Amino acid sequence: MLELLLRRCLQAVPLLVILSIVTFAAVLSLPGDPVDVLVGNAQKDMAPAEIQVLRQEFGLDKSPVEQYFLWLSNGVLKGNLGRSYKDGRPVVTIILERLPSTIRLVATALFLAFGTGMVWGLSMVILKQSPIGKWLEAALFLVALVLYSAPGFWIGFLVLTMAGRISVLGDVPLLAVHEAGSPPVNPTAALSAIWYVLLPATVLSLRRMAKIALFVRAATLNELAQEYVTTALGKGLSRIRVLTKHVLRNSLAPIINLAGLSLPSLLGGSVLIETVFAWPGMGRLAVESTFGRDYPMILALVLMYGALVIFSNLAADMLELINDPRRRDAYLAEVEGART
Amino acid sequence: MSQARFTTSDPRHSSIRMWVGAVLIALVFSSALLAPAIAPSKTLLWPVPVNLDAINLPPLTTGHFLGTDLLGRDILAEALWGARMSLVIGIVAAVAAVTFGGVWGALSAFFGGPIDTLMMRAVDGLLAIPNIVLLLTINTLLTANPFLHSFPEWSLRFLKVTSFSSGYLPLFTVIVVISATTWLEAARISRSKIHSILLEEYIYSARALGIGVIRMLFHHLLPNAAPVLLVEATLLVSDAILMEAGLSFLGLGLGPSTPSWGSMLTTAQSSLIEGNWWAVIVPGVLITTTVVGVNLVGEGILEGQGGKRQAT
Repeated sequence: MLELLLRRCLQAVPLLVILSIVTFAAVLSLPGDPVDVLVGNAQKDMAPAEIQVLRQEFGLDKSPVEQYFLWLSNGVLKGNLGRSYKDGRPVVTIILERLPSTIRLVATALFLAFGTGMVWGLSMVILKQSPIGKWLEAALFLVALVLYSAPGFWIGFLVLTMAGRISVLGDVPLLAVHEAGSPPVNPTAALSAIWYVLLPATVLSLRRMAKIALFVRAATLNELAQEYVTTALGKGLSRIRVLTKHVLRNSLAPIINLAGLSLPSLLGGSVLIETVFAWPGMGRLAVESTFGRDYPMILALVLMYGALVIFSNLAADMLELINDPRRRDAYLAEVEGART
Repeated sequence: MSQARFTTSDPRHSSIRMWVGAVLIALVFSSALLAPAIAPSKTLLWPVPVNLDAINLPPLTTGHFLGTDLLGRDILAEALWGARMSLVIGIVAAVAAVTFGGVWGALSAFFGGPIDTLMMRAVDGLLAIPNIVLLLTINTLLTANPFLHSFPEWSLRFLKVTSFSSGYLPLFTVIVVISATTWLEAARISRSKIHSILLEEYIYSARALGIGVIRMLFHHLLPNAAPVLLVEATLLVSDAILMEAGLSFLGLGLGPSTPSWGSMLTTAQSSLIEGNWWAVIVPGVLITTTVVGVNLVGEGILEGQGGKRQAT
């Protein structure tokens, strides 16, 4: 089992390598080189020989392949990806400041999307069974379809305007007012931090929630048409028992898989939602750096987002391997097949 | 307890859903086609006149059925002209993405071996980057000055770029940026489809006849993968429309000169604080309607083909 997990971990390595090559290619294609940026206007006061020395120091006289390995060993592995053009601090420091905010937002959204989406999908299946509930199910289906198709930031606008007008909700903290970084430590402040994250996280989760609800509905309905369900009902089991004991278990595997795959799209959506709600996370940093043409920052962010996605997919895959013996066997067979 | 039986999905429903989707798409398309008839204009840049005496008028005002935006432009006319831009962006970007991705995937499957691994790993690596982040990055790289200066003179004239206006250049950039992001999924789908086509007997006989790569690709492989790629293109249209809206919202889209639903949302954002909610509602509803329609039709066809879009 341990060997299996280690093997799966090793599979992520080529992906990380590719990601770094792609990022580096983008670094190379950028206009101007780091020396131009560093020297700036002072360039005309410097002797060409001095600039040449600087270029050698940066390794710019080497071939792209050598430069890539230099960048990998000095930059990526030691966490030294250059300084922000904007405020001169190391980009890694700035990103690590913003990371906790984004993780808080995305984790809450993932939790909401998965939890609510599952309940939503299953209640659609259950409602479909009764003649009156059928209509309610149709309405829930329509709502899910619309939420899945509407742009998330647009819903964000509408929620913001409405929450600002409806005073029934009391003082809803509309925009994040806390500093970037980790949440405060004392309990009351921590509680208010949850309150702050709730609105943006709900808006962020809506699209995923709808997708998961539709997926759960389709997967469960598909499962209900299988013959073992007829057999189980024929044995005289109640429908609730069949649904919870037999059907749910079988339709759960693809749903867990979908939850693991949700992270990239939630991270992507968070860029827009962070902008709407002025949330001090990585997404807003990405947008700000795009406007400021802060190249080192953008590329470090690409690397960071990519690594987050690769590791989360790895984690989801491992959970599935641990959970589902069928998949484990299939994977083992594949490994065996590759050996022979 | 009622009879021990479960109600499962009714096949009739999926055909109803597809019809509903088709009707929605037909409505949006006809409104785009009718734009010049309902709101006449000679030019596509600033097609709706700015009128600063009539800003933020509410809906149902005489002459402005859906009200006006913060520049006094009629929202109905904007929406109709915007439908053209949004649909053009969606369709052109989707077709470009599927064409490039389709050929990429086909070549990858055809050559196999280390070339296949290399080509598909590159796709996997890029897919690890979330959509919007990739959009932002490609946008930054593409709009860096040296790229813009490398445009030949005639293309700038074609895109109506002058020293006062960037003309259709943003439209061009947005389409390139979106298709540069969405071709990845098409490449994966094309590769897996062509991989299975390559096992067919007619491919063996074509190979035995010594057919060239190009002919093999365009005469045998891609035409047989076309149904799958067509559905992917349909679904990508909705993705592209949503992406354009997102890009515009971030201020990287078309700008106020060229109306699209995304750029309408951007303008509307600034007037929301003055209580102009209708300027936000109209483009959002139109985007949602189009995306619902496209998704219903795309998934309906997919169901008919007995497939399922990969869960993402």
